[in-house]
Amino acid sequence: MALMDVFAGTTPAPRWFNRARRRISSPQFILAILFLTVLAYLILVPLFNLAWTTLVWGEGDQRLSPQAVPGEFTLAHWQRVLTGRLSQKLLLEPLGHTLLIGISASALALTVGGLLGWLVTRTNLPGRGWLRTLLIVPYLLPAYALALAWTTVFKSDLVGGRPGVFEALLGFPPPPWSSYGSIPIILAMAVHYYPFTFLVVSGALTTLDAQLEEGAELLGASRWTILRTITFPLVAPAFLSALVLTFGRTVSAFATPALLGMPVRYYTLSTMLYSNISIGLVSNGYILALILIVLASLTVYLNSRLLGASARFVTIGGKGFKANPVRLARWRWPIFIVVMLFALAWIVLPIGLLAYQSVMLVEGLYGPDNFTSYFWISDTDTTIFPDGEPGVLRNEGILKAAWNSLRLAVSGAVIGALAGVLIGYLVVRGRYQRLMRLLDQMTYLPFLIPSIAFGAMYLSMFAVQRGPIPALYGTFALLVLVSVVKNLPYTTRTGASAVTQINRELEEAAELQGASWIERFRRIVLPLASSGVVSGMMITFITIMRELSLIIILSTPATRVLMTMSYRYVDEDYIQHANTLVLIVIMLTMLGEVIAWRLGRGKLATMQAQE
Amino acid sequence: MDAAIEIRNLTKRFGKVVAVDQLSLTIEAGEFLALLGPSGCGKTTLLRCIAGLEEPDEGQILIGEQVVFASERGNVVSPGQRQVGMVFQSYALWPHMTVYDNVGYGLWLKKVPRDEIRQRVDDVLHDLAMEGLGERYPFELSGGQQQRVALARLLATQPPIFFMDEPLSNLDARLRMDMRSEIKRLHYESGATTVYVTHDQTEALTMATRVAVMRDGRIQQVAPPMEVYRRPANLFVAEFVGMPRINLLPAKATWHAERLWLEMSTFELPAPGALPQGDLIIAVRPEDISLSLEPEAGAVEFRVYAVLPSGPELFVHVRRDDTALVAREIRQLDLEMDQSVWVRIDPAAITLYDKASGRLLTPASVKG
Repeated sequence: MALMDVFAGTTPAPRWFNRARRRISSPQFILAILFLTVLAYLILVPLFNLAWTTLVWGEGDQRLSPQAVPGEFTLAHWQRVLTGRLSQKLLLEPLGHTLLIGISASALALTVGGLLGWLVTRTNLPGRGWLRTLLIVPYLLPAYALALAWTTVFKSDLVGGRPGVFEALLGFPPPPWSSYGSIPIILAMAVHYYPFTFLVVSGALTTLDAQLEEGAELLGASRWTILRTITFPLVAPAFLSALVLTFGRTVSAFATPALLGMPVRYYTLSTMLYSNISIGLVSNGYILALILIVLASLTVYLNSRLLGASARFVTIGGKGFKANPVRLARWRWPIFIVVMLFALAWIVLPIGLLAYQSVMLVEGLYGPDNFTSYFWISDTDTTIFPDGEPGVLRNEGILKAAWNSLRLAVSGAVIGALAGVLIGYLVVRGRYQRLMRLLDQMTYLPFLIPSIAFGAMYLSMFAVQRGPIPALYGTFALLVLVSVVKNLPYTTRTGASAVTQINRELEEAAELQGASWIERFRRIVLPLASSGVVSGMMITFITIMRELSLIIILSTPATRVLMTMSYRYVDEDYIQHANTLVLIVIMLTMLGEVIAWRLGRGKLATMQAQE
Repeated sequence: MDAAIEIRNLTKRFGKVVAVDQLSLTIEAGEFLALLGPSGCGKTTLLRCIAGLEEPDEGQILIGEQVVFASERGNVVSPGQRQVGMVFQSYALWPHMTVYDNVGYGLWLKKVPRDEIRQRVDDVLHDLAMEGLGERYPFELSGGQQQRVALARLLATQPPIFFMDEPLSNLDARLRMDMRSEIKRLHYESGATTVYVTHDQTEALTMATRVAVMRDGRIQQVAPPMEVYRRPANLFVAEFVGMPRINLLPAKATWHAERLWLEMSTFELPAPGALPQGDLIIAVRPEDISLSLEPEAGAVEFRVYAVLPSGPELFVHVRRDDTALVAREIRQLDLEMDQSVWVRIDPAAITLYDKASGRLLTPASVKG
């Protein structure tokens, strides 16, 4: 310091020197560099590490090849997966299944979602108000819940186990194609993902200026002609973007194909990845993870291209007149009944079944004598259940998992939201724009990586000690870390949009009064951004609560959460236990949704997350 | 700290746009300077540079004796240390703080004891006739009250320099008139150097002790308000200041009958002094044109195009061939469309501009 003063006293320090000095002592700069370093370590390094692992021999690879020298460079893994004897089973078949499921499920989801979206926004269908909320419910549930409910109905002795509802009621087993494989997976996924299209289309239709349609009507166009030549072309970009995003999500989904495919060895890329890793063939799994990442990134790229093209269709905001609803006339009630039946079959029934199952003593026996509270509150009772697994609310393992779930969701949401608002601030308001853009791009990366592949990345990264960072595999901290980083694209955007709404002059007024940046952030920015941040927190809470594919690879018995535990129960055929756990998850997420509803001015967290 | 501000060769660019261009300006301690110009002329940027909210690219800024920015060294004094208080266009009241906290925040930051803060805030609120509103939140106040809170916040820390960035533009016309006199009074009582950014020439002329007219990042003229009004330094200033707009008439300076005359398409005026011969522009304010209903010697016949009464005065648009003029008339004349009037221009009140450069021409006095 003394040296500096002498320096300043003789000749003034040059500008670059002053700038550099101010920069390295600026909290914004330090924070940005800190975030960049940490995120590079948590996103880029694991990604490269994953890729690198597929290019060297691993520890256990001697059983694959006698020439294997751990640590030596090799292309053998890629050759094995891409062109080897097993590539048919390892890659081509799962890839085929993945594409088949992705295309069919998105097409189906788009048709259903688009149709329902149009019905509730532009027609006089009865009950449009509450239907709008009810029809989103499948998206609020874990994807896994629907798959679980499906097996409860269509299970047969094809893979052992007790008969499902179908067989119990009708007396004969359902056809094999309906129990497991592509058809149930496509249906379950389409039902889980149609609300996404539904939201996009009803959103686009609500903001569409009715005068555009009325203009055509005055020229004498019929309803159908208007729909075909005006309405549809205008919402087409939103529609296409929904298609691409749904495709991206269905190809990277894990829970549904795991439950409805793996029992009959029907694999997709994500389940093949998981089963390779779980039997120790990590390099195979990692290669599949990379392929999945490329596939998912392509869809995101395609989507951004489509959205870029859709800017042409931004319609000049009119007075926002509500369109006169299309009169369905005598079709009004029949269509209503069809929609209600749909909701009943795909929303009410699955949840009801899961609940019913959880109070059923012997699985598959549907009758009044078979009620029990065993799976909820009983202590260990070997006379009822030979293994003596105690009821959910008395079961220490499950209570521990529930505690873990809550703890994970809460800490992930809080840390994620705080990091999100800080990074969001730096990105939209930060001084050093080039640096901040880099930070912005970095936080976006996890969006490109499917959850299951992200889990694989973290496994490859944190299974061993690296420098000063201990092997985090098996720790609760790793689950928190992976949940925070994977959700960063959303939390950062929520944070950024909360900050954008704060007038810059509010901060400058404090700056002129002499408030430091930290002071300004704490006293001005944070309080004003808080409502946005809290509602973002609820979104993350719900996302983490129902997350399975991200942590399934990383969770160990000590760190298991409700979802992973439920998955293990299914694996071990403790179906009722699995159902009960999923019900608890559903209840907790619904609670989160209700809170988010209150905070988000009548919008569900899931809807907010789409914006 | 002495509260004079000196700006030397200041340049600020945003990408390729030059917002402030090689600008030099001295603001005396205690004066009320209005920075006047159309939107996008760089006036707000200049203010933000002086406040330290932007970092200029080149030049120097001194506040008092102290260099706060120099191109070789960058911003060397942070905004909080520049002793500048500011009223923002949006008022920038912190919505999550009460009026009391908004006003007292700066004192709290300076670690002023709580009692003193209380006292000072109460005083300032009293001075601005805002007693009893301390516990309200900004959204519970009217626009005019919010404006006063912004002023109170500025006054609370007693900075020697006040910056105001279009503070009245969000108020309705009546309130704006009232606030003008209040702000002028405030300046008088505090003696603070005040820099007031506005695009409203009436605001600048009515409040400031000096007006700096800006365009494209450069100062066009700095002078007391009446000088800016009476002797605009160039055609831009002449047209920008004054409502309704000044009349501009293309003319030629020519010798005949052993005198220099200004020849227009419809008029001929004796030149006020020695001028280079050639094309020039005559500027004449509407109030310097007089109308007569009868033919008069030296007056030219025009046709009434439109009459716009506005209470105490009339603005009369008249035309003859391709010459259109606006005259201000304080008599309540009963004029009809297309009727003839005789127009006379006061040769002592005109200003002359070089047609090519737009600069004010100062005729040398001609003797004999």
